[in-house]
Amino acid sequence: MIHLTGLPEPEGAPAPGACVRIERPEPGLAIVYLDPPHRPKLAAFDVALLRDLDAAIDELAGDASLTGLVITGREPLSFAAGADVETIAKISDNELAGRFVREGQKLYQRIAALGKTSGGRVTTIAAVGGPVPGGACELALACDRIVFADDPKSRIGLPEVLLGIYPAWGGSQRLPRRIGVPAALGSILTGKLHRPKAALRMGLVDRLAHPAYLIRIASDIALGRMQCPYRGRRGWRALLIDKNPLAGAVIAHMARKDVLAKTKGHYPAPLAVLPLVVRAPRVSIEAGLELEAQNVLPLTSSPVASNLIQIFLGSEQAKKLSRIASGPDGELVDARKIERAAVIGAGVMGGGIAGLMAEKGLSVRLRDLDRKQLDAALAEQMTVIGKKRKQRRLEPHLADAAIDRLEITTEAVGFARCELAIEAVAEKLAVKRAVLSELAGMMAPDAILATNTSSLSVDAIAEGVPSPERVVGMHFFNPVRRMPLVEIVRGSATSDDVVARIAKLAVDLGKTPVITKDVAGFLVNRLLGPYLDEAIRLVESGVDPHEIDAALVRFGMPMGPCELIDEVGLDIASHAGASLAAAYGDRMRASRYLEPLIEAGQLGKKTGSGLFLWRGERGGKQKNAGRNPALSSRGGLSLGEDELVDRCVLALVNEAIRALDEEVVAGPAELDLGVIFGTGFAPFRGGPLRYADARGCDEIIGRLQALRGARDVVASGARLERFAPAELLIRTASEQGSFHPRT
Amino acid sequence: MTRESNERIVLAAGLRLPQARAGGAYAGEDTGHLGATLARELLARTAIDAGRLDEVIVGCVGPPHDQANVARVIALRAGVPRHVPAQTVARNCASGMQAVSAAVARIEAGRGDLFLCMGVEVMSAYPLIFNSRAVGFFAGLAKARSLGARLGAMARFRPAMLAPRIALVEGLTDPTNGLIMGKTAENLARDFALGREASDAYAVRSHERARDARERGRIATELVPHLPLAAKGRRPNTVSLDHDDGVRDDQSMQALGKLRPYFEKPDGVVTVGNACGITDGATALIVTTESRAHELGLEPLAAIRGHAWAGCDPARMGLGPVYSSAKALDEAGCTVADMGAIEINEAFAVQVLACQHAFASDEFARKELGRDRALGAIDDARLNPNGGAIAIGHPVGATGARLLLTLAHELRAGDHELGLATLCIGGGQGGAFVLERIAS
Repeated sequence: MIHLTGLPEPEGAPAPGACVRIERPEPGLAIVYLDPPHRPKLAAFDVALLRDLDAAIDELAGDASLTGLVITGREPLSFAAGADVETIAKISDNELAGRFVREGQKLYQRIAALGKTSGGRVTTIAAVGGPVPGGACELALACDRIVFADDPKSRIGLPEVLLGIYPAWGGSQRLPRRIGVPAALGSILTGKLHRPKAALRMGLVDRLAHPAYLIRIASDIALGRMQCPYRGRRGWRALLIDKNPLAGAVIAHMARKDVLAKTKGHYPAPLAVLPLVVRAPRVSIEAGLELEAQNVLPLTSSPVASNLIQIFLGSEQAKKLSRIASGPDGELVDARKIERAAVIGAGVMGGGIAGLMAEKGLSVRLRDLDRKQLDAALAEQMTVIGKKRKQRRLEPHLADAAIDRLEITTEAVGFARCELAIEAVAEKLAVKRAVLSELAGMMAPDAILATNTSSLSVDAIAEGVPSPERVVGMHFFNPVRRMPLVEIVRGSATSDDVVARIAKLAVDLGKTPVITKDVAGFLVNRLLGPYLDEAIRLVESGVDPHEIDAALVRFGMPMGPCELIDEVGLDIASHAGASLAAAYGDRMRASRYLEPLIEAGQLGKKTGSGLFLWRGERGGKQKNAGRNPALSSRGGLSLGEDELVDRCVLALVNEAIRALDEEVVAGPAELDLGVIFGTGFAPFRGGPLRYADARGCDEIIGRLQALRGARDVVASGARLERFAPAELLIRTASEQGSFHPRT
Repeated sequence: MTRESNERIVLAAGLRLPQARAGGAYAGEDTGHLGATLARELLARTAIDAGRLDEVIVGCVGPPHDQANVARVIALRAGVPRHVPAQTVARNCASGMQAVSAAVARIEAGRGDLFLCMGVEVMSAYPLIFNSRAVGFFAGLAKARSLGARLGAMARFRPAMLAPRIALVEGLTDPTNGLIMGKTAENLARDFALGREASDAYAVRSHERARDARERGRIATELVPHLPLAAKGRRPNTVSLDHDDGVRDDQSMQALGKLRPYFEKPDGVVTVGNACGITDGATALIVTTESRAHELGLEPLAAIRGHAWAGCDPARMGLGPVYSSAKALDEAGCTVADMGAIEINEAFAVQVLACQHAFASDEFARKELGRDRALGAIDDARLNPNGGAIAIGHPVGATGARLLLTLAHELRAGDHELGLATLCIGGGQGGAFVLERIAS
């Protein structure tokens, strides 16, 4: 028996024994169904499920008549989500974390010991399908054979590193034994989830079966009525590569270099698991499991893992924004799905939004007055979808449909049946108002009218539109297909139903929604404003933009601020800056340093030069070819890397605290999530507020005061207010508090 | 359940794509996509709930081999809900007209009252077919199991196996008499003593009228621009086609005079210049009852006063319009003189001219139609006022529907009460519709 006392119980946990069902359809065979009633969508290995599974294994281990065992989910495409992330998040005690790891290992070892592979007397089959990540995959790996449901929804793999930890219920040991060290590294270090065909090809599973036949086939294999050869690695390859210490050393070296290049050293988990995987085939399973458990504990208590886990939980929580109370008892249900949408304006944003919608199954009517823009948008869709078809990321019929569903028109006809229209026209209030009013005249009275504005007020745009409760902001980020965040801007009249339907749409499009107040810049652009302006002012003072970018990339940003400005476009950035200054006054006042460049038409990557010179194909991948000589600077300020980072990042953090105080978003978790997904803010730092918590309010205040006194800052005037510690920061510091509740 | 007999059946709305010379703008198109794009646009513009359609009926002569019931493919790709059935119909060059005829018959029988009818043809995609020797070779190769048998099978390869059968040419040939369509037109030239010059002059007029109609904006009222798919593996197209690209603005007698007869060398009349071009295109129409149209908030284009099909000599299939128009006019209770505009499909210039003669001929009426007097002369002004297939091409399965759409618009544009749309059909048939204008 395993010992789980003291570990956090899940909410609504049922009485012992209710989470696992054992059926004995014929002599010699037992089928174990994971079916926890407190998790109606997908099981997860929390204390309740582990305990019941352990009891079931106990019962079966004592059954001498048993020859075959099938472990499966409540339905063929619903197995388990792996170790329960909420449980992991709740464990703060190192001793308890150790117990959670070791008892899980022990349970899986008991299952493995039953199986023929480890000399047991039972043929154990994992019959799994749907998502099979992490702990669910590790359970399957402990069985003799894995039968995997052949379905587009099926995915199997070990994504733990994405949460700052690594597979520690035997996964780091059993996967390399099964598929070999190189493939196991490729899988574990990236956290990749594999589709059925790929999983079969790499030997991660032994057989595919139609979901409807999954149990029958698994049972036949378990009882020996059907052959199912082991697809895992054996023979010369195992000897030559996996068991060869020299090959192991070379592979480990290469993999380490690769990981460091990708993570820049910010993520310890891949580096920690790497040697374990490489050595796995050369040590006994017991020794391997011991190493696995020992090495994972420092990770589980690390801030990186805690931050990544919180982001994961936050994004799961964000998906629930699409739910709305319904019926007399206020039960939460998914908001009504949008099937047919209109997009007005076929520029980069409008075209991208329409194309994404068409790909994700909506019928979309895209309108622009300029036929050339429409043709370009449809051609872009054909290019994007054609590429996915070629790379087999989209089946041919789905690729066809993704193009079929995108209608283009120059005329104001054909919008009557659209349930939603999103405008992505020029950022001019009068134009946007006119567009929404025209749409209101053509569409149903309850059709949702959304604006993709980034700098105008949703309330101002809604003015004069009949039934303003249906007007809402739906702010996508550029490039639409790649950026994971959508800001849903709730105007003062916007209804809950409209917000929920837009959130549902965002989730359907694969985006993470964050609901914001209708304030200038909403959340993301408001915070980016001072951050980017600080970078410009540093360049103005003579700091090399390369140096600034390098410092912030090392801090963990996906791209330096100077490159980001060139990417966004100097004109757009300056326009956004001006509207922030108009709304927030002095602390957002932008440097006028870039104006000569803008006047000269040097607008960034799109024109080939901005803060940097860019070489390479327009629209394609461009290379930084050095600093733009047209930039003059007033003297050579030289600052240390920490100073560069603090100037930019603390300007952002201070503004984030103001936004939190003004309740621009629901709370600190939403704020951090929005900033990470909207700007790429170093995920391992957990977002600006968790970063502030980690450094401590007192230190932040100290640094802000110091920056406020810097000579060039004083000289510029505007930034005195920018670096003035936010009220909430001072309040929190005086209460010895933090922005996020301390765990 | 039959409908109330006094209610008119109408073309409630219609739209077409620009027609493109085969191998040109739509060379990479797929029939399913072309049809679905147009169907989506028409459904969007009419705001019809596609789930309330009784059926989608599509005329197509050569559906792609992987879309045998291309109507169903088009319906599903256009977002028509799956409970709505779809049927592909074929009557050679009249397939698009057959789609409307089928809808009329269903409405008259009380089997539904709301139909999406289309004609679609991508002649660019007509395949080359392996000849029977090559097919036998491949079958032998597939059966061979052992290495020796395989080598033996491969050794039976002959270069002659590479000569393909051209589906387009074979499709345009009448298998009952071996005549390709152009040869049936040459028969008419002899029967009616029509010469090369008259044919070429007619062709020039077709181009001129098509050009003028485009320039005064008449054509834009019936079509919507289309950004065609590119061939697989090619970069996407970036420019929409917004006009029928077969129209030659500078077509002249001199230019046409240089062309050699195509089907009967050296003395024939028909050249590629005075015959319709091989073309890709699509047309869609909403066919319903007058009251249903009003319920849907649609202002119908025209009402169907009568229609008919007729057979004739396959070797003179070009006269089909005369036989079918006689029946259709009788059904509609009117005469040629009542027709404000007449669309006779321009398969060949000489064939239209022959029809014009036959309409006006008492002798033809007595011998062929069993009536005392001629149907009535058709003056040039009323005949194909916007040009025809010689200029804008003849996507075979689509043209029948296109003629109805063009005529329906012409009734409004030209302020006519009645009009006739008719075409000849390979195999020796004709189809004709009499449309009447609806007072708005």
